[in-house]
Amino acid sequence: MKGTVFVELLKMAEDAFGEDVVDSVLDKADLENDGAYTSVGNYSCAELMKVVEAFSEHSGLSPEVLQRKFGNWMHEHFAQNFPEFYKDKDGSFDMLEALDGEIHVEVRKLYPEAELPRFTTNRKSDNHLEMVYSSPRPLVGFCHGLIEACTANFGETAEIERGETEAEDNCTTFQIKVTS
Amino acid sequence: MPTVEDDRVSRRRYQREQRARAEAEELLENKSRELFLANQKLSEYSGHLETAVLERTTELRQALVQAEAASAVRTRFVATMSHEIRTPLGGMLGMIDLLEMDEDNPEKLEFLKNARISGQALSRIVNDVLDFSKMEAGVFVFEDEGVDIRALIGSVIAMAGANLISEGRMIESKVDLSVPPLFFGDATRIRQVISNLVSNAVNYSTDGIITVCAKSTPHAKGILLRVEVQDFGIGIDKEQLGNLFKDFSQISNSLTAAARGTGLGLAISKRIVEGCGGAIGVDSTPGFGSTFWFEIPAEVLATPQIVEAEHTLDEEFAETFSLKGTRVLLAEDNAINQKLLLTYLDRMGVEAVLAENGRIAVEKFEPGLFDLILMDVAMPEMDGLEATGLIRKSADLKDIPPVIVLTAHVMDAIQEEASVVGVDTVLCKPIPFRELKAAMIKTLGRSLMFEPVHEEASVPAVETLVKAAPRNVTALMSGPMAEDLLLMFSQEDLSQLVSKYVADGQETLTKISEAHGLGQAANLRENAHYLKGSSLLMGFNRVAALCTEVEDNAVDISASRMLGIGQEMSDLFSEILDHV
Repeated sequence: MKGTVFVELLKMAEDAFGEDVVDSVLDKADLENDGAYTSVGNYSCAELMKVVEAFSEHSGLSPEVLQRKFGNWMHEHFAQNFPEFYKDKDGSFDMLEALDGEIHVEVRKLYPEAELPRFTTNRKSDNHLEMVYSSPRPLVGFCHGLIEACTANFGETAEIERGETEAEDNCTTFQIKVTS
Repeated sequence: MPTVEDDRVSRRRYQREQRARAEAEELLENKSRELFLANQKLSEYSGHLETAVLERTTELRQALVQAEAASAVRTRFVATMSHEIRTPLGGMLGMIDLLEMDEDNPEKLEFLKNARISGQALSRIVNDVLDFSKMEAGVFVFEDEGVDIRALIGSVIAMAGANLISEGRMIESKVDLSVPPLFFGDATRIRQVISNLVSNAVNYSTDGIITVCAKSTPHAKGILLRVEVQDFGIGIDKEQLGNLFKDFSQISNSLTAAARGTGLGLAISKRIVEGCGGAIGVDSTPGFGSTFWFEIPAEVLATPQIVEAEHTLDEEFAETFSLKGTRVLLAEDNAINQKLLLTYLDRMGVEAVLAENGRIAVEKFEPGLFDLILMDVAMPEMDGLEATGLIRKSADLKDIPPVIVLTAHVMDAIQEEASVVGVDTVLCKPIPFRELKAAMIKTLGRSLMFEPVHEEASVPAVETLVKAAPRNVTALMSGPMAEDLLLMFSQEDLSQLVSKYVADGQETLTKISEAHGLGQAANLRENAHYLKGSSLLMGFNRVAALCTEVEDNAVDISASRMLGIGQEMSDLFSEILDHV
């Protein structure tokens, strides 16, 4: 898992709970490198789960909620740091459809070893997009948060539903309907 | 939570950041190392590639050299074989000619005629193969000389027509007025192409007229000559047109059985025409006939009076004419050449008067006494050109017979001067018998008698002479001259002649050495030229070449080179004497 995810997660925690809280939560969590993450490093996804778990315990918020909040946070980070990807997109559907074919292609140029999730899209109508997310990692909530933020970023209001049954682990079908 | 904002961070936070930074730096270093190694690998790979390319190039070059060597060996083999076949074939044809002359029995004459036709066909094939191998070897050289296309087409038709008349067929020529009388080209090769096309037209048609047309159009080089040979034969299918000019290809059909040859004729013609910078092609309709054509660019030759006789009149054509009774004044100083030329003239039935140099020639000349003058150029007391000038001034021009100049000079060197004094034809030594005769006929060009071949050649029992002749000494001579000499002289005569040549040559060599020792360049040049003349006529080409070297470098030839040449000539003379 790319270090930038860990770095941004800790930034969000610091923003929400303050540095001292983050420090003590990290101390208590049994982490391999005591929470010393660099954005160019690679770390195991289990570590990420431990960090989320630790903050969940501290705050009383469920990991699912935390993941969605983090998805929103992470999208903000992307939008600020990689505005070029947003330039020629008219709406969230354009962006979501460009994930595999465009954005992940660029990611692989920098990190050939990156394990990226797959996004398969199917535009049902002008304002209905079906997107299948499948990943080696249990980050469905995180993904949900990213989609939420993406629609909001383009000034859209959208209903986002997850499929009830999942064909396999860490695989979810999102039904995204833009209402306005 | 601290109540006061504290800018400082805790020790563990600092340590955590330090650790993250150290990790990032290590990652960076590793990445750099990976990049470096990847780069190194690329360079190595590129180096390997270059080496591989170099090795492969070397291998290919070696393969090419080997292939070329193999090809050269093959070509040389073919050329040698062709030559080896040609020589005995020439002998056989000669014998057949001699037999034909003496034979009266019509049945035997018919056999001999068939033998001759077969021999000539074989000879043609061997010549084709030889030409072809020369082309393959890249040693096929084109010459630039005056070409009279009218005479050339005439002689081709005369040759081909002789066989056709009995079949009631006709060949006609139409040479357009636009074609200049003379232009630069390789007459022998152009003749070969026309002859090939005509012979194809004859072989691939059973009746109907065959037409040879020539016309010319303006071209950057001068003119573009176009020659067409049209027949009304079987014609050629479209599919076969493309293969026509390929090596060893032949159109097969019911007539092919009658059509002989190697299938090289058109391939050779194509190479010749393209070698002259031209193009060759064919238009044909099956069942209606074919028109083969070729076009070559040529430069127009302005001065028509001096031409090499052999190219304007075919040698075989010349054999049908007789010079019997022609009166000739021969000016020649070299004793060997005198003997040789007088024998030639005697064989032609010519009444010859000898003048030993130019001055004597002027003295002996009288209007009305001679039909033709043969004039050597380099002679003591007065040279041939000066003598010609004086003779032409001595009487009315209408009483002056035509003059043929015989020279061992390079043609170009003398041509201009010769044309100024009024020489009709310049011949370069060595001059084979038939070439001389052809030139004389061409130059006389009037009131010529048409006679059957065998009446004219009345030398007694030539075949025994050939058998008895000293083969060894002729082996040292150049081919055509040796053949002539064998036909002209008996063994004793030839031995005598060669001995005389050697004695004369040794004497001249002494004079050459003296002249060089005294630094007399003009004298040196004169003597070298003298010896060159007789050596060329006798066919001793190496001696002639050495003389040419002395003649050309008379002013500044080094003493050591002169010594070397003297030694080589002495050796050659000894070798010649050994063979007599």
